[in-house]
Amino acid sequence: MATDIARLDLHNRRRSLIGYTVGLALYMLVIVVLYPAFKHSTELNKLTQGNSALAAVFGATGTLTSPAGWVDVNAYVNFLPLIMLLLTIGYGADAIAGQNEDGTLGLLLVLPLTRPTILAQKIATMIAQALTLALTAAACVYIGRAFDVTLNPWHVATATLAILALSVDLGLIALALGTATGSRGTAIGIATALAVGSYLLSSLAPVVAWLKPTRFASLFYWADGNHQLAQGAGLTSFAVLAAVAIATALATNTALRHLDVR
Amino acid sequence: MTNAIETDELTKAFGPTLAVDRLHLRVEPGQVFGFLGPNGAGKTTTIRMLLDLHHPSSGSARVLGLDSRSDSVAIHARCGYLPGELELYPRMTGSRLLDWFGSARGGVDRVLREQLVERFEVDLDRRVHELSKGNRQKLGIVLAFMHRPELLVLDEPTSGLDPLMQAEFHRLLRETVSEGRTVFLSSHELDEVQRVADRVAIIRAGRLVVTDTVENLRRQAPQTMELRFREPVAAAVFASLSGVQRVTADGDRVTLQTTGELAPLLRAIAARDPVDVVARHADLDELFLAYYRDLPNADGN
Repeated sequence: MATDIARLDLHNRRRSLIGYTVGLALYMLVIVVLYPAFKHSTELNKLTQGNSALAAVFGATGTLTSPAGWVDVNAYVNFLPLIMLLLTIGYGADAIAGQNEDGTLGLLLVLPLTRPTILAQKIATMIAQALTLALTAAACVYIGRAFDVTLNPWHVATATLAILALSVDLGLIALALGTATGSRGTAIGIATALAVGSYLLSSLAPVVAWLKPTRFASLFYWADGNHQLAQGAGLTSFAVLAAVAIATALATNTALRHLDVR
Repeated sequence: MTNAIETDELTKAFGPTLAVDRLHLRVEPGQVFGFLGPNGAGKTTTIRMLLDLHHPSSGSARVLGLDSRSDSVAIHARCGYLPGELELYPRMTGSRLLDWFGSARGGVDRVLREQLVERFEVDLDRRVHELSKGNRQKLGIVLAFMHRPELLVLDEPTSGLDPLMQAEFHRLLRETVSEGRTVFLSSHELDEVQRVADRVAIIRAGRLVVTDTVENLRRQAPQTMELRFREPVAAAVFASLSGVQRVTADGDRVTLQTTGELAPLLRAIAARDPVDVVARHADLDELFLAYYRDLPNADGN
């Protein structure tokens, strides 16, 4: 009874979750397997060395041919967050607003469960899906050790966890917007715009002087815009990302308490 | 004895529109209570407030003696609900759907569930999106009844059911109330309500128009008389009699409705040499429709 809604949502999304996971794993494995072919490429490094604007656009934070630079620019600063955000924002918008639009939320809310309990199960479902992708990415990076992608496991673990937290934050924002507005489309639209804005802010702040002081407002900065894969994500990053998650979850709970359900 | 449902000044506004306006309703336990009204009258909004799906703008509701807002979880445990626009998870099979809702309710009586499935010939093997509207409705009926709730809140429950299944459903309602349980039945089907409801409330434009037993309403319902005389008769002859209304005269034919005493009317008819008299039994449909259309709002009985 305590986990029925989470199990149902995971069951109903199992096909898409498997698709996301397999696609991500294949992509990540290709990246790490290809690393030996590029690790001595000075031409590749020249692309971004001395060209901080280009480096910013690609999200490169060091040499592209270092293990951290290679994995960062090919996955951790863009592709991995993109895939995880697709999953969490999509689920966040669908979990309450989408089900209310479809007419299936009413049958859940007449079960003998409190609304906060139902919300907690929805959030747990989102985290479980994002965690599946995060563990897949981290496992592929670990497999990369066989292909000279030698990264500090602790740094990989904390950087992956930070991206997990980033994706959950934006998924929760979509959940909150959907619950407050009752519109799946609005939730996806605004949350996606916030994600894009946050990514651009984190990427461009290092090279645009007037943007630099604002980078702290970017969730991407705290998740992967600060050399996290090379140096590990710090406590401050997790504190910021966790605070956003808690505040958004509380706001969603308030919105859900006031929601009129079809 | 605690009423199954009690509302006091229950009101719901959507912006400037009052969907439900200071509704006073009392539903005693152990009966089928018919909740009638035209489209947009506020029936579904009322039901949603009873189940805490919609929050009242003002007023309060008690269900099974519990506050609809603060005790909603306890109410949900003791209620069965069939929404008017039933939407189920389209890719789940009927079997999985019943398993899941049973588990989410903390377990249900498997024997009762199987009896309901057999009785309504529910197709459990196909996915919901492959089922017809009627077969989805049958699944909804099993979902509403399978945990043997004390109160059933049913919004247009026979929508899409064939006449055989409708008759089976009506038998189920009678069995349910014979066990002391209560059925709150919202419906457009006047005929259905006449047949199964013990008591009826009519709501129009968010306000309660009338609530009474079906028997009392039937007594108030007008009888229609079609008369033929040897000579043409003026409508005014009958229109002045107490309880006579809607008199129309066409040559030697007169049609009228009466809710008053029959003796003065029969004397007036006999005095004018009638050749044919046809009286139809009281028709609740006509009364209901009159309440839908004509009567001023009136709270309470």
